[in-house]
Amino acid sequence: MGPLVPQEIIGADWNLFIAFVIGIGFGFALEQAGFSSSRKLAGMFYGYDTVVLKVFFTGAITAMLGLLFFSLFGWIDLSLIYVNPTFLWSAIAGGAIMGAGFIIGGFCPGTSFCAAAIGKIDAMVFIGGIFLGIFFFAEGYPLLKDFYMAGSFGPLKVSDFLGISGGVMTFLVIIAALVMFKLGELAEKKWPREEY
Amino acid sequence: MTTRNIIFLGLFLLGVVIAMVPENTTKPYKLTAEDMLIEIQGAAEMVSADDVAHWIISKDPSLQLIDVRSPDEFQTYHLENAVNIPLSVILKDEHRDMLDQGIKMNVLYSNGTLNSHQAWMILRQLGFENNYVMQGGLNYWFDTIMNPQVPSVFSSDEEFAKYDFRKAASGALGGGGAVAITAPAKTKADKPRVIRKKKKKAPAGGC
Repeated sequence: MGPLVPQEIIGADWNLFIAFVIGIGFGFALEQAGFSSSRKLAGMFYGYDTVVLKVFFTGAITAMLGLLFFSLFGWIDLSLIYVNPTFLWSAIAGGAIMGAGFIIGGFCPGTSFCAAAIGKIDAMVFIGGIFLGIFFFAEGYPLLKDFYMAGSFGPLKVSDFLGISGGVMTFLVIIAALVMFKLGELAEKKWPREEY
Repeated sequence: MTTRNIIFLGLFLLGVVIAMVPENTTKPYKLTAEDMLIEIQGAAEMVSADDVAHWIISKDPSLQLIDVRSPDEFQTYHLENAVNIPLSVILKDEHRDMLDQGIKMNVLYSNGTLNSHQAWMILRQLGFENNYVMQGGLNYWFDTIMNPQVPSVFSSDEEFAKYDFRKAASGALGGGGAVAITAPAKTKADKPRVIRKKKKKAPAGGC
């Protein structure tokens, strides 16, 4: 039966409304996890707090498992799911820039809006930075275009690239996540910070 | 064991299960048996040979003829601008773009209507739109369009108009040796509605 929106079981108007509700839920979850504190996010880099890693990886593997089991039960047609196309070099550069911004600013785009919503000034400055970045990227697009489009792989999935099934890939990601959670907790013990 | 460790163990076990089971057993079929029965009884998938002849002659750009017979038969004779997709390879990915599209109107034909209908049913089950079957197939095409029979003197004007059109079409399509004397009669040629697919919107996301 699923996915609901591409098959128009849920119409375009409801789509926006549901996106709104999910957005609120996402913000609520971020705030509950304490992600509106820039120290929490920077802690990921310094090793004293790895909650960010745990929350996002748990979210990712829950979604992976959910999609694959839904597909197994015939509830969703995975071939209709939109997969972001891969542009290798811009993805690497974008990841590096976002990572640097993460450490320097203490927010990722989603959490900055959460923090701005509870009145954090630094988050508002961060959002200003996001808009500046968007502006300069858009204005400089003709210069960046070749690099932006380089290394196009289309909507490629890692599992297809490696030639393994989605299930095995999910299993590997779960193993990787559990190992990282363990390492994260060791790091928290090694570089603790009392008050932040 | 702490709650957290139980959750981790649960995730791990689910991962083991999902790694073991075969991937994506979701049936791509879109229509139930009841839906199919209703469609078949409605016979909305049929287009007449006269309509097809009219579209070929008027070089209708939305017409896409699909020959589901074997390549040998296709080589021997096929309708103008037809594409050969034998029934045996109809499920191959390379044909998907042509068979599942919103721009053109696909008209399937075979010698009779058995194979073209089999192909149509498979395509319909896959949820593909805009596929039709040429009524009577190529045999009927030869009997009526290429070698039209003169109607008896008691026939209605409509019969004669049809005959005139077929004679003209036959001339235009290089068959039967009939010479077009009268201009082709205006056939109704109500074309089945082409259903255009909506472009899928690309959702954007991120952290």
